Amino acid sequence: MRLLRTLLGDWPAYLWSGWGALASLLLLFAGWQLAAEHYGSLVLAQPLEAFASLGRFWAEGSAVQELAITGRRALSGLALALLIGSALGLAAGVSMTASMMSRPLVTVLLGMPPIAWLVLAMLWFGASDGTPVFTVFVAAFPVVFIGALQGTRTLDGQLREMARTLHLPPHLMVLDVYLPHLFSYLFPAWVAALGMSWKIVIMAELLASQDGVGAALAITRSHLDSAGTLAWVSAVVGLLLAIEYLLLEPLKREVERWREPS
Amino acid sequence: MLKLAVPARWQGAPWLLCAFRPFFLATLASAVLLIGLWLGYLRGLWPLPTALGGPLVWHAHELLFGFGLAAVAGFVLTAVPEFTRTAPVGRPLFFWLLVLWLLARASFWLSGLLGPWPAALCNVGLALALPLLLARRLFAEPSRRQWAFAAGLLSFALTAIGFYSDLLQGLPPMRWLHAGIGAMLALVLIALSRISMRIVNDALEARQADDPQDEPRVYRALPPRRNLAIFCIALYTLAEFLLPGARVGGWLALACAAALFNILNDWHVGRALFSRWALSLYLIYWLMALGYAALGAALLWQALPMSAGRHLLTLGGMGLSVFAVLNIAGRTHSGEELDPRAWVPTSAALLVAGALLRLAAGLPGWPYGTLIVASGLAWLIAFGLTGYHLGAVFIRPRRDGGLGCEEPLDAHGEEGTAPRCG
Repeated sequence: MRLLRTLLGDWPAYLWSGWGALASLLLLFAGWQLAAEHYGSLVLAQPLEAFASLGRFWAEGSAVQELAITGRRALSGLALALLIGSALGLAAGVSMTASMMSRPLVTVLLGMPPIAWLVLAMLWFGASDGTPVFTVFVAAFPVVFIGALQGTRTLDGQLREMARTLHLPPHLMVLDVYLPHLFSYLFPAWVAALGMSWKIVIMAELLASQDGVGAALAITRSHLDSAGTLAWVSAVVGLLLAIEYLLLEPLKREVERWREPS
Repeated sequence: MLKLAVPARWQGAPWLLCAFRPFFLATLASAVLLIGLWLGYLRGLWPLPTALGGPLVWHAHELLFGFGLAAVAGFVLTAVPEFTRTAPVGRPLFFWLLVLWLLARASFWLSGLLGPWPAALCNVGLALALPLLLARRLFAEPSRRQWAFAAGLLSFALTAIGFYSDLLQGLPPMRWLHAGIGAMLALVLIALSRISMRIVNDALEARQADDPQDEPRVYRALPPRRNLAIFCIALYTLAEFLLPGARVGGWLALACAAALFNILNDWHVGRALFSRWALSLYLIYWLMALGYAALGAALLWQALPMSAGRHLLTLGGMGLSVFAVLNIAGRTHSGEELDPRAWVPTSAALLVAGALLRLAAGLPGWPYGTLIVASGLAWLIAFGLTGYHLGAVFIRPRRDGGLGCEEPLDAHGEEGTAPRCG
């Protein structure tokens, strides 16, 4: 409740702080416009043409439909990676042996290109939802795992001792000692995994699905529709920015408030 | 060597006590005269002086290099010595700079008869004189070199050089005046950051004194946000100059608007913001941001004419900032406290209303002619009131016994703590 109240109270100031980010994005659009005018609309559509295409997709209903499909796949894969990656990472972090043993495996997983997983997934799951969901999971898993592992390994022993000496009840021990520290490692890993999941799901859809934003991109590519392609890219990036800045960042600020000097 | 001197009859004249006095008087006089003449011309009451480039160039040139440069000269000749802790600018120097300003006006107004050279020499001379004369002071302290002021003044001088170079070659010179607006607004941002630190923190202190329960807050005009805005304005100005009417300028104008709104993150300090001077300075950023947003809308969607956005920047952003500087720096360095009377918020409100009316004049279906006149009248009344109340301060001797540019002196002849400009 307190979290919700703080979030709502800080909301106007937080939203206003978005102007700086918007200024940078608009500078990017200016660069895009300049490049589009230089290379021509066939190679690179102008921003307004891309947004007009996006508006058309929105009016037709295809934007919502395809984004919902892609979102469902990305979030399913991500949810699996967050759950399993965090749980296994935390568990591995508790034991020195387990963390020593798991490190090379994570390195292998991190080093494996997602496109290779995609080929395997296509063999295993065919054109079903399983292919993008699995690819997202397997690519995001090591990132989350390593975050959780490092969070557990770096817990401050002295702080734990002090909490024990003060006979802190177990639930406060978890809420005030363990969770804030773990979260500061887990959260960036989750955000990185989220960004990754969006990129990978679209790649998987482009190659292995009949629907979703990736498949829509494949169609605009075959029609040499540069405006349509950029419209889909803008939609995905816009959605990602919205999730990151409207949901994750305020959450991160709130849970990391303890780091600020009082 | 030529030694400058003030003519004997004006030795010790109160209006020459400090550099800002004659220049702020010139600013006030030109604000009323230039817009009065322009409105009469638009209504067909009288012709304009036969200046080269035509009436529109005369209007823009005079408001930028006449009204605007007089305000800039008054401000920098007073404030730069103050915040670089160097000696005040000598009276003979600023007196002859004022003479140059007057010659620049006369020569441009008569440029249809005299040709472009006299106007070019006087106007470029004055615009270049400011950065050159102040250069030593701006770079006096190696650890606190005032690059921003130097760059702002130099770019403004550059637009004057470009303008006259085009005029001498028979090219349309308007693009340089548009660039001059960018340079002027960058200077406004730099100057405002200094003025606002004092004004907003004073408002915060007053608020704190009224209500000790309030959490103590401090306002800081941090450079990164201001620098982003100046960077965006520089890019937009360059794009407008090189690619007039291009869509890339539209995106850059929107970026300027966002970057200016971003500066206001520093400003949201609670109820202290609603004190008269803090609010006036705050509205300058709003007007500038809205002006750039309107320019963006004009370039990207042809939603309204460019002039609507441009006037929000000039009539609104520039007009209100000049008004604020004249009041704050002018009164403080005349040994007076800030004016508590009602004409101050009335004039500020009139300037904001004038800018919005000028924007409305550009909207399709709105009565263009009537709104232009209404907007011009709002400006005339605002600066008329300012001239009446503030002009009197600039021509009379200091009431606190001060003999120069000092802040208000107390009974012991020491400088007080009233708001200052630097």
